[in-house]
Amino acid sequence: MTRPRLNPALFFLLPALILVIVFYIVPLFLSIYISFTPLENWNLHRYLDEVTTSNYERLLYMVRFDPDVGKVVQTTLVFVAATLAVNVLGGLALALSTFLMEERISLPYRVLWMLPRMTPIAVYSLMWYYFFLGDRSGTLNSLLLSLGMIDEPLAWGTDPRLLPESAWAILVIVNGFVGVSFGMVVFYSALRSIPREHVIAARVDGASTWQLVRYVLVPQLRWHIVYVTVWQLLSLITTYAHIFLLVEWGAVDKWWGSTWALYVFNTAFTTSDQGLAAAAATILVIVGALLGLVALRLLGFQRMMQEPRGEI
Amino acid sequence: MVLSLLGLRRRKRDGDEEYLAVQDVETLPRRRLTLVLGLAVGLATVPLVMLYVLLVLSSFADQMLSGPDIFTARYSLENWRLLFEGRLEPAAGRLYTTRDLAMIVANTLLVAAGVTVVVIVTSVMAGYAFSRMRFWGRRRLMEFIILLHAFPGVALIIAVYAIYVWSLGLVPREAITGYRFLYTILARAALEIPMSIWLMKGFFDRIPWEVEWSAMIDGASRLRVWWQIVLPQVKPGIAALAIFAFLAGWEDLIYVHVFLYTGGIKTLATFIEEVVGNIETAYLPIAAAAGTLYLLPTIIFFVATQRLLLQAMSGGVKG
Repeated sequence: MTRPRLNPALFFLLPALILVIVFYIVPLFLSIYISFTPLENWNLHRYLDEVTTSNYERLLYMVRFDPDVGKVVQTTLVFVAATLAVNVLGGLALALSTFLMEERISLPYRVLWMLPRMTPIAVYSLMWYYFFLGDRSGTLNSLLLSLGMIDEPLAWGTDPRLLPESAWAILVIVNGFVGVSFGMVVFYSALRSIPREHVIAARVDGASTWQLVRYVLVPQLRWHIVYVTVWQLLSLITTYAHIFLLVEWGAVDKWWGSTWALYVFNTAFTTSDQGLAAAAATILVIVGALLGLVALRLLGFQRMMQEPRGEI
Repeated sequence: MVLSLLGLRRRKRDGDEEYLAVQDVETLPRRRLTLVLGLAVGLATVPLVMLYVLLVLSSFADQMLSGPDIFTARYSLENWRLLFEGRLEPAAGRLYTTRDLAMIVANTLLVAAGVTVVVIVTSVMAGYAFSRMRFWGRRRLMEFIILLHAFPGVALIIAVYAIYVWSLGLVPREAITGYRFLYTILARAALEIPMSIWLMKGFFDRIPWEVEWSAMIDGASRLRVWWQIVLPQVKPGIAALAIFAFLAGWEDLIYVHVFLYTGGIKTLATFIEEVVGNIETAYLPIAAAAGTLYLLPTIIFFVATQRLLLQAMSGGVKG
């Protein structure tokens, strides 16, 4: 009599698979389903039986005619494009600089630039909140006032005369400082793994630092640049945690300062319209999944898949 | 000194193999270049440094500091004393609401530790399976898991919350606080799972398999080989994973906001959110002190494990 044996691979995968099923797969389908129901106030017993497309119709209508939702769409596009540029180019610049300078100075810089990523979101938001505070005590205001560049304090994130560019700038700055370290780390470690002979040969041939960067170093980072761009693009589309508090505290304009992901969150948790929020979330999921698939193709993740070893 | 200039000295702080070789003069960083680049990067870093310095200074001052006023403010340990006594939010009329800071810190620690344990157990097991075992659908599953990381996991929070609301009805009343914590921990850990499995697989891939192979030929079970032979070899990987997971739990705002705060359970993140939220009445240096307190573990972790973190982050990329 032999007991049925659990496949060892399944045994090892089970805990992770359960979490993935409960927190990704089931929510995915549930989210799509909720988007077709008029769910309100989390009243799951009352609204979940009705199936309707009205959420999508309302969303479409709002994107076209509701100026506030229109602002969110614009903000999302500008925010993703600008922050992506900052993250990739800034990360590249930082990595090259820290690679080319002496280790004594390079190491502290690399640590410093990792700090925003390591800072708890609430503290990070708090710091920027004071930086852009609208009264005299805000860091930016008090700096500009003492330099004589402005006569009275400005409410940077909410002043209608400065919107929307000022709100966008705040979003890009706040998230840019966090995102730039990802590119820095990836590019830096890639630079460090370039064979030293390439650098030596270029130097012996009399290449200037600029030529070294332009013709030797950057071309070898091509794959990493694609990787960082795709990865950061995917992250930025769903980013909202770092600006959630800035919007909640009123440091930036509610609509010019909201990305689509934050709009989804706020619609679900501060208004009571969960059906609409789920519809907005579903669109986000579709965009994310499509971009993710493109990313897999583009990056050739197949190449990174080693065959298992140690099998008998 | 001369030796180090010629690059003959082994540079111990650099783990990369290339650096263990003799370094040529051509590849040595140049002094003037360092100066120019150092100044340029330093300039870009100014806002960052300023922010952190102001936060820490404010926690000791009698007002929020923003730049020129740092010389006029009065410094004391008053804010920290108030914070530790739980006498927070001294409103305009000096009405203190006493809060249990130890409880708030304990809640935050509980979430962070819980996330760490869940992430480590699940991804160490799954990473091993992906690295060492051949099974049907392995490649597809691995791809799918990477896709999950790229996937807007946070966009699913509405459904995750709906499941939570629905399941809350099945939980006995006295166990509800524990359930809130459990759900927060599992949901937050799930967000870390894709990247952690990927990271762990990379660490498993790097260790030679001959020893476990021969142990298995000698008749040791898969589980025993995993526990006794393989795991001790990936300790650095587990350490890196633990740090990432702990920080993820410690830093989390959205999940504790949604699942714990609604039940009246406060963590440091939601506490700061609350204090600054009442901006009209709040005594803000307290928030700065709470913020600094919240920042401390991350800084300690970070300084202690700087190399490990950078290694793990790049390790995940190389696969």
